[in-house]
Amino acid sequence: MAPVINARGLTKRYGAVTAVNDLSLQIRAGEIYALLGLNGAGKTTTIRMLLGMVRPTSGSVEVLGTAVRPGVHGVWSRVGYLVETPAAYPELTVRENLTVAARLRGVTGGRPVDEIIERLRLTEYADRRAGTVSLGNAQRLGLAKALLHRPELLVLDEPANGLDPAGVAEIRDLLHDMSHEHGVSIVLSSHILTEVARLATRIGVIHQGRLVRELDASDLAGHTSRWLSVSARDQAAAGQALSAAGFSPVRTDGGHLALADDRAIEEPDVVATLLVAAGCPPTRLVVEQDDLETFFLRVVES
Amino acid sequence: MTEVLKARRSRVPWVTALAFTVAAAVGGLFMFILQDQGRARSLGLLGTKASLAGRDADWPTYLAFLAQITAVGGMLVFGLVSVWLFGREFSQHTAKDLLALPTARTTIVLAKFVVAGLCCLALTVQLVALGLAIGAVLGLSGWSAQTAISGLATVAATATMTVLLTTPVALAASAGRGHLPGVGVLMAAIFCAQVIAALGHGQYFPWSVPALFSGLAGPDQEPPGLVGVILVVLVGAAGMVVTALWWRNADQDR
Repeated sequence: MAPVINARGLTKRYGAVTAVNDLSLQIRAGEIYALLGLNGAGKTTTIRMLLGMVRPTSGSVEVLGTAVRPGVHGVWSRVGYLVETPAAYPELTVRENLTVAARLRGVTGGRPVDEIIERLRLTEYADRRAGTVSLGNAQRLGLAKALLHRPELLVLDEPANGLDPAGVAEIRDLLHDMSHEHGVSIVLSSHILTEVARLATRIGVIHQGRLVRELDASDLAGHTSRWLSVSARDQAAAGQALSAAGFSPVRTDGGHLALADDRAIEEPDVVATLLVAAGCPPTRLVVEQDDLETFFLRVVES
Repeated sequence: MTEVLKARRSRVPWVTALAFTVAAAVGGLFMFILQDQGRARSLGLLGTKASLAGRDADWPTYLAFLAQITAVGGMLVFGLVSVWLFGREFSQHTAKDLLALPTARTTIVLAKFVVAGLCCLALTVQLVALGLAIGAVLGLSGWSAQTAISGLATVAATATMTVLLTTPVALAASAGRGHLPGVGVLMAAIFCAQVIAALGHGQYFPWSVPALFSGLAGPDQEPPGLVGVILVVLVGAAGMVVTALWWRNADQDR
């Protein structure tokens, strides 16, 4: 099956600055592909090139089998997108903003605006001016515009921006459902490793404008470290008790004890019980994970 | 339709309508003052200002004044309509939502120009309607069918030329990605139009042509010839085409 996105040798230069450098990408139908990168890595420029908003200095893009170039617009009826921070006409209501989007997309028949309002849980805010809604609801409105016409391909730049944890989980479930139940292919960018790990089926790591690594989500665990971080009032005694129990505690720069043993990570309650029994109960017990920078260093170095 | 909905909900059409209402009322005030020479003398500076609109308080003078308002005030008001229609998409970051749609970008640009034209037409109709009402209330002399047709045709032609000259302002608001560059170009055009017309070369500078055509420079100034009108049409067409090409081809990275 032909890839839904086929980008070959994409490069974008702004004067002496190379924002994206020789990036090639093939995204298969039904995939949830995450472009993971630090801020300024080139994710948004890549997404804008995929959507025909920015013309590559060199290289080419095909979306759903159509070459992206100025003047080609038919293919966009099958694509939904959200680029960077969501924007809306502030003096129009949420419903009117969606009506404008529906007309521009040529959506006819049924009640697409009402349906997407219900689906994105915007009913309470539907008749409120878009300029007065919270950042989280503005993000929902942006997603509603992207989903309004039931696209085959979704391109989302930082879709979890501005959402509270419940909103993030809700959007994650929605995207998961669209991909698995409706076969929608999704390309998203993010700088939040845990979010990407939960949603994506394949991950492209972008660093300084280059696609440095692609990996299946199932391989992500092999590239990230987790550990149980333990603190107690008597760190020395706690360390001795843990060592005696067969763990391998390591003192971190922050003065905590780090246990990388699988048993400690999977069963922190056992560690807590052990420390209480040893007379040095834990004051802090947290499973921690690499931050994005550390992950990058590991992936880039490997 | 989407552009009409956006325009309807904005304050800009109402503010520009208010500006033209005030302009028509000021014209009426000047006619009221000029109707009585003693009144004009007793009002000092205001009377002097009123006399600049013409010597007589009659229909030909008032209709000419409305055409001059359309030329000078219209450049500012019509220009602001264009700046708002195009610049807002960048100032409010909504332009990116117009770029990857099944609707061609050039169609969106054309729709904006159509709405700009309709807004300016509505403003001109409002100015003329108010002018006719105010003139009737004041009981101005010199009304005839020929005077009315000639006066209103001058207003209509002046308005058409002024609207055409705002298309480069739309380009500036687009390429400059916001309202301010558009306003800057608009102000520069108005300033240059005044200076170049004062130097006597206005008939060759498109932005001076509507004011000269409306008779703002007085009977001593030569009216713009065919060359001036052609230059206005060329500027209008070039502004539209280049704006459409810019939307179609330029990198949209903000």
